[in-house]
Amino acid sequence: MSNVSLYSVAYTLSSVLLGALAHLFPAPIHGWLISGTVVTALAAVIFAAILLLASMLNTILLIWYERKLLGRFMDRRGAMHVGYAGLLQNFADGLKLFRKDTVRPGQADPLGFWLSPTAYMVTSLVIFGLLPISTGWNGGSLPLTLLLALVIFSFAPLFIFLGAWASNNKYSLIGGMRSAAQMIAYEVPILLAVVAVVVLAGTFDLNTIVLEQRNYWFWAPLFLALIVFLTGMLAEMERIPFDLPEAEAELVEGWNTEYGGMLFAFFMLADYLRALVGSILVVLLFLGGWTLPSYVPAALTSFPLAGIVWFMVKTYLVFGLFVWVRASLPRIRTDQLLRLGWMRMVPLALLSVLLAALVVLSHCLPLIGCVPSMGG
Amino acid sequence: MDQEQLSAGLSARFPGKILGVDTFPGTNGRVRFDATVASDLFRSLRDDFHFTHLTMVGATDWIDHREVFYVLWSDADRRYLILSTDLPAESPVIASAVPIWPSANAHEREAWDLVGVKFEGHPDLRRIFMPEGYAYHPLLRSFKIHEPEDLEVKVRSD
Amino acid sequence: MTEMWVNMGPQHPMTHGLWNLRVRIEGEIIKDVEPEMGYLHRGIEKISEDRHYNEIITLMDRTCYVAGLSWEHLFIVAAEQALHVTPPERAEYIRVMSAELQRIASHLMWYSAFVQDLGLMTPFLYGMRDRDLILDLFQSYTGGRLTYEYMRVGGVRSDLPLGFTQRCRQVVDWLMDRFVEYDQLCLSSTIFHERCDGLGVLLEPEAVAYGVTGPMLRSAGSRRDLRKDRPYSVYDQVQFDVATATTADVTGRYLVRMEEMRQSVRIVRQCLDWLDDHPGPVMADHLPRWLGAPYAPMGNESYLLKRNYPTGVGLSMIEEPHGEAGAYVVNDGGEHPYRVKFRSPVLINIWAAKRYLPGYRVADIPPIMGSVDVCVGECDR
Repeated sequence: MSNVSLYSVAYTLSSVLLGALAHLFPAPIHGWLISGTVVTALAAVIFAAILLLASMLNTILLIWYERKLLGRFMDRRGAMHVGYAGLLQNFADGLKLFRKDTVRPGQADPLGFWLSPTAYMVTSLVIFGLLPISTGWNGGSLPLTLLLALVIFSFAPLFIFLGAWASNNKYSLIGGMRSAAQMIAYEVPILLAVVAVVVLAGTFDLNTIVLEQRNYWFWAPLFLALIVFLTGMLAEMERIPFDLPEAEAELVEGWNTEYGGMLFAFFMLADYLRALVGSILVVLLFLGGWTLPSYVPAALTSFPLAGIVWFMVKTYLVFGLFVWVRASLPRIRTDQLLRLGWMRMVPLALLSVLLAALVVLSHCLPLIGCVPSMGG
Repeated sequence: MDQEQLSAGLSARFPGKILGVDTFPGTNGRVRFDATVASDLFRSLRDDFHFTHLTMVGATDWIDHREVFYVLWSDADRRYLILSTDLPAESPVIASAVPIWPSANAHEREAWDLVGVKFEGHPDLRRIFMPEGYAYHPLLRSFKIHEPEDLEVKVRSD
Repeated sequence: MTEMWVNMGPQHPMTHGLWNLRVRIEGEIIKDVEPEMGYLHRGIEKISEDRHYNEIITLMDRTCYVAGLSWEHLFIVAAEQALHVTPPERAEYIRVMSAELQRIASHLMWYSAFVQDLGLMTPFLYGMRDRDLILDLFQSYTGGRLTYEYMRVGGVRSDLPLGFTQRCRQVVDWLMDRFVEYDQLCLSSTIFHERCDGLGVLLEPEAVAYGVTGPMLRSAGSRRDLRKDRPYSVYDQVQFDVATATTADVTGRYLVRMEEMRQSVRIVRQCLDWLDDHPGPVMADHLPRWLGAPYAPMGNESYLLKRNYPTGVGLSMIEEPHGEAGAYVVNDGGEHPYRVKFRSPVLINIWAAKRYLPGYRVADIPPIMGSVDVCVGECDR
């Protein structure tokens, strides 16, 4: 089963669909329908649809997972009533939000107000096309996938600030400015932490990065970088303790104060999409992606789609860590956040780059020992 | 300092202006004074008698006159003191205690809002609960809660 | 950057009730604040002038909706003074026990709201969960969870139910364990200290000048507690310590309130021990009929007295969970008080925000105002 890839599934579906469809039409159209170009084009569409569906379903499941986990942390049970153990609660919430009237404040700028949630959502979704989740199960496999993903990931402050400014609301504006400052400040340590990974792996291609971790996962030599990356991702996702752009105690709802109904649902979904992307990136860069250590019994890794299963397990565990942090830490202040970012995270990230370089040069790992073949 | 000492001390400082000191359970007494010496009396009570804490300012409408009462607290004695003075109903004006005890600010605004007592020298004597432009002082006996009121509220100008 | 006024309220997550804090900010720095009250003004003092004494107790529950029994206690002490009524000792012990349980419940409510302002969600639910246990206790002997109407001029409405003291002991034992957990959740977090240390500082001389009372004053090092300084009810019969801190900031107020809850548990335990050993009446004899003494012995002719009750003025000051609350009750011999004036500690504590807020950041407003423990019901009355 290991040679099954997402694209092959899409291609098979496409050719089966078109083959069935072609029987309804006379020869010229029949021939054109089963031609390689059309099948490939439809395969691409199906491919995108599967990706969209999977990412959205995962996001909604992620929200459910967070609610249940938070509930347990707080000595309660979370959503219970819609569906089994509240599994359908988020669909109900989503439906409610989509049915709501969308209100634009009279003084708000229409273009920015409408564009911002859409663009925020779209840029968050596009990243999923770049992330591999198992051997062959990815969209584009470019040499610079990681860089591209991070670039798209960092579009967000632009759109948040756009929406905040267009809302023409003081809380939104302050929240938008905080958000922009925070995201830009934490881009730097995140990228530096990624540089450490790249130095060790010798490539920007996520598939290769995962394969490079076959001997040891990168969190062991790059523990500092992992901490920096997790902290930075928390800030990028705007989750507690770094959720001050939408600090509800002082700024009502921060930059999305004026958004309601469907637009708010967009922001909400995109937030969780980004949280999912963040967790996936942690798994890919530091936790060995879909691979398991070699001492794990083969029975655990040889069943169909084992890679995807383990990948999702790891992703949800990482997200569980974020939820745990959310349940136990208070929110910090803007100036403290920026101080933490520039004065603690950046030096730590630089140090981890240095460590990565040392590992590559010396072929030695702390706590593990020296192996001649080690390092990129 | 007990009630006799306080009474004697105050009478010596403000001859003829202290109209009486009644016994009041659990306090150093209830001092009735002439409203003309309000400012000096407050300052003297704070500086000479160590009533550092102004706890309460309130007013009562007795129809023919209005009574303003103050409750003070002395950290040294651990006792309260009640001050009381009568103001004429047609012009209930008394000196503000804000320069002596800043905490009087909110209390006096409340007394002005609800009972209509004016405090001269108050830095910001606006209504505190009722909207600006409200025509009545609701705690006056002439204000009947069962009668329909004609409410006139002005929009805040700032 | 130019200055602008931001309205924090009356509908804003920071305010915990209907009031408005107008803030003049320059960037994120607070330059000036202007608290605006009155959104919840219900005219309780005016309504009281038209009501029987025992009917006013109903209003007291609504005055502060998180500390109803404390405010009942406040009014009852003043009214008994104005009407020259002495309650039986058992009733006084029940009142003190109720007031201290109410103090714990109110502080737990404060704790929940405060940590919620900081962004801590877990302790919020813990606090609300444990407050419910106290509300269950209240329900078992007053019948109410929020508005109790339990205390009466001359005593309390009914005696404690069977087995109450055991249940109450279990609850306070559980709470003592939980207080440790609360402290672990807050004080062991570096972020908590970063958010709270050195914020909203109001030193003792300023606090006295601005009339600030209660935990806010004691966090500045003052030992002023009316339960000690001017004991009312039977507070002179129970042992407890006054909780103080020296930092005068948000953390100090947190520490004072946590210690106060522990001291309240101590008082509750002493009251329970006393109540176990001293059964007796909970309502005074010889009350006039219009004071509504349900358990006054029939055949006592004093209940025929309808008027001609001695005139008087009652002043009671009690240490309410938020600070020093006062009631000034003028009785002109009738069934209704002639004038009732309440001192709200929250009104003064909020008003002093003009002193302790400027200079800090917008993001500091929720912790600072959260540490004040705002209850708008009693502020606006």
